[in-house]
Amino acid sequence: MRIAPALVSKVAALAALELSDAEREAMAGQLTRIVDHFEALRELPESLLEGDVAAHPTPLREDVARDGSPGPLIEANAPAFAHGHFVVPRVVTRD
Amino acid sequence: MALADAVGTGRVTARAVAEESLVRTGKAQEAFGAFLSMNAALTLGEAEEVDRRVNAGEQLPLAGVPFAVKDNINVAGRPSTAGSKILAGFVAPDHATCVARLVQAGAVVVGKTNCDEFGMGSSNENSAYGPVKNPWDPARVPGGSSGGSAAAVAARAVPLAVGTDTGGSVRQPAAFCGLVGWKPTYGRVSRYGLIAFASSFDQAGALTRSVDEAARAFAVMAGADPRDSTALATPVPDVLAAPGRGARGVRIGLLAEASSAEGGLHEDVKASFEKAAAAFRAAGALVTTVSVPRVTLAVPVYYLTATAEASSNLARFDGVRYGARRGEASLAGLYRETRSAGFGPEVKRRILLGTFALSAGYHDAYYGRAQRVRALLSRDFAAAFRGVDAILCPTSPEPAFELGAKTDDPLAMYLADVFTVPPSLAGLPAVSVPSGFSRDWLPIGMQLIGPGDSEPLLFALARVLEDASGALARRAPGAVS
Repeated sequence: MRIAPALVSKVAALAALELSDAEREAMAGQLTRIVDHFEALRELPESLLEGDVAAHPTPLREDVARDGSPGPLIEANAPAFAHGHFVVPRVVTRD
Repeated sequence: MALADAVGTGRVTARAVAEESLVRTGKAQEAFGAFLSMNAALTLGEAEEVDRRVNAGEQLPLAGVPFAVKDNINVAGRPSTAGSKILAGFVAPDHATCVARLVQAGAVVVGKTNCDEFGMGSSNENSAYGPVKNPWDPARVPGGSSGGSAAAVAARAVPLAVGTDTGGSVRQPAAFCGLVGWKPTYGRVSRYGLIAFASSFDQAGALTRSVDEAARAFAVMAGADPRDSTALATPVPDVLAAPGRGARGVRIGLLAEASSAEGGLHEDVKASFEKAAAAFRAAGALVTTVSVPRVTLAVPVYYLTATAEASSNLARFDGVRYGARRGEASLAGLYRETRSAGFGPEVKRRILLGTFALSAGYHDAYYGRAQRVRALLSRDFAAAFRGVDAILCPTSPEPAFELGAKTDDPLAMYLADVFTVPPSLAGLPAVSVPSGFSRDWLPIGMQLIGPGDSEPLLFALARVLEDASGALARRAPGAVS
């Protein structure tokens, strides 16, 4: 399957990544080669693939409340922090 | 470990050991780029605490043993960058559980080691802070992604380093640097405090020079943890007496697909594989050939499922809660600019591949199908283990390659993981152990794979190969002591 630069752009937008034109072109070529190699998976007969998919189902713990209060490094590690909250650019405007 | 016995009996202090290890660590950093951060004051303080505990009569299995920790594993009060610019400046609030267990056992952290960014790489050339060089030949890679941990032990800066293994990131660098490296049965060592790459694969493991040291590290690091719901609550198998048990009567299957691997085996690796089989026969093992048919599909399955998980796990790096931040004009712009500037090329490639595999229109054909083949591979292994007790194959198709040899060809880099990703996909334990050297004296490693909870058997078999190869007697030319 050919991964066109336009598809790379679409996937990059989903992943919140910006790519330069050169990066997009290079990535399209590399991903095409990688995905082409992965097409071998499609050649397996369906009859072999029946059965339980979740070989290792994620175990769930009891829903018990625990002390999850953040330590002082939470604030120290934050790029912007005020009044006990992480600060981000304004998301609500008057207009 | 003799060192732990010396500190535990008061013949030498943990502080003196730590001082020496810090000197060696500095040399290993200078020569090979093995470390990303050190903090002598913290190290010496922890060593003095060990001396206090020893003087108070505590029995500590790893008293005063200096160890290094891969930089995608948290150590309280020290930076965790995971080899990425996006986490520059982040300081871990607490210990990863595996680190806490080692510290509780008396071991002392001497530094954080270089690694491929977020554990994504097989050569340690994807670190934002520069590559690591192999102490056996500084023109070659140490393997990855735990390349700094491997170089630190091979250079004899520390006797023990902790790494993470998602698709071979402990085992392959162990093979390239002449060390023992293990990944546990999935869930046997807690993932709490590991910076997640692919959660259904990620496991902490250790790199050491000898099998005995490897078993001692496992015995301390393994165990249940309420902070990781995937950590196994069943009793930890006893590995401490295992290394002396030998191989007599053990059924060992030589992986049939190893001989027909895509691109073929390097001839020195092939010769070492044959010698390893002969060594097991000589030790009384019943050596046959076993097929795990879908091993040939393991690389595509791994790179579709692990990147899909990575695309989700790495969504948290958005410039809001930690790390570097770029772009303040809008929230969406902040996410995009922070991530675009903070992630390196390989991480972007894997996020894009994983996002593609999960996206509408492609999910069923790629991620969904890969999950189904993953389950089939697990059934292949289960069938194989009805006929043999353990499987033997090379850890890597080739010895350490030259720096830059594969950086322009990501697919070639991925294909080199052909033998390490299968047990990761099936959640099985595996150990890489030195089996000999190439003609130009590069280390070669063999991998032993067993069913879940077979670590005692794997360490016993690894010890047989260690004894037969004599690899323990050789030291890397770049060793700093």
